[in-house]
Amino acid sequence: MRNCALFVIALLALAMSAAAVTQAADQTVWSGLVIAENVDNPAAIPPELTRIEQTLKDLFGYNQFEVIGQSRKTLKTGEEDWLAASKYFALHVDARGEHAAGYVLNLKLYKEKELLLEWDTKLSKQSPLVIKGPQVGGGQLLLVLVVQ
Amino acid sequence: MKTFEEKWTAWLDGELSGRDLAEFEASLPDKAVAEAEKEAAHKLGALLKEQLGAHAVAMRNEDFFSHQLRERIARESPLSREPAPEASTWWTVRRLLWTGAASLALFLICAVFVMREQNPGEQSQYLTQILSARVDPAVSPNATISMFETTQDKVTVLWVEGLQSLPADYAAK
Repeated sequence: MRNCALFVIALLALAMSAAAVTQAADQTVWSGLVIAENVDNPAAIPPELTRIEQTLKDLFGYNQFEVIGQSRKTLKTGEEDWLAASKYFALHVDARGEHAAGYVLNLKLYKEKELLLEWDTKLSKQSPLVIKGPQVGGGQLLLVLVVQ
Repeated sequence: MKTFEEKWTAWLDGELSGRDLAEFEASLPDKAVAEAEKEAAHKLGALLKEQLGAHAVAMRNEDFFSHQLRERIARESPLSREPAPEASTWWTVRRLLWTGAASLALFLICAVFVMREQNPGEQSQYLTQILSARVDPAVSPNATISMFETTQDKVTVLWVEGLQSLPADYAAK
């Protein structure tokens, strides 16, 4: 019976360490600059946004979401930084560590070399982040970050 | 005062009665086993009598012989005097009770912590949180910032109003 108890404890410890290893696996953060607008024949939504398509449509009232710049970064240390850029905009992301549910990020949105917006966020693996940027023509610039 | 062996022998022979019988049977560690032994002793006695009778051996002291035989059986049988030792196990009843109580207490503590963390007034750590946000007041003097989470898809939104509108050319890839 005691051997059985020891076996169960060992099994639990193994399962917990396996879960920890799984949690520590590398994560990819997708960052996108998206132009939302209303058009007669909307293109299909990019696959990275499929998960939140209805939320985007409900929130912003546009029927097309086009990615004009993107970056996909695999985080290994949680201290990396990267840039998602289009012709005129650039989103600089600076990862400043990992927390229980995701990453701490500092983000800066530039219009050419002009800093428009800066913010700090705890990006969760289960919760995408959407930022409403400036109006661009008849549409809207959106910034989207998703942990994949 | 009679010894256990004397009472045991008397009990086997059916010579105990009344209060003595009740007290003796109450003192038995396992009455079922004792009854089995009694029956076995009777069978043995009957067998011996039968065998001895068959050989026509005249035994003047057959009662004494039978008595001695039963006493010896009783002495050599560990079941008659003390219960068989149980297989040793760490999980005694008391330890089982303590383990159960400790597990229940641990569960309640964890449940309280989880319920506190899921207090609807607090933001879940599993939702993206905006820690701070700022715009350059020189570039966008009328900008306002608000943030919220959507229940659908658990999307966190940073809503910035009042940024300078830009021409459609800025939508270029």
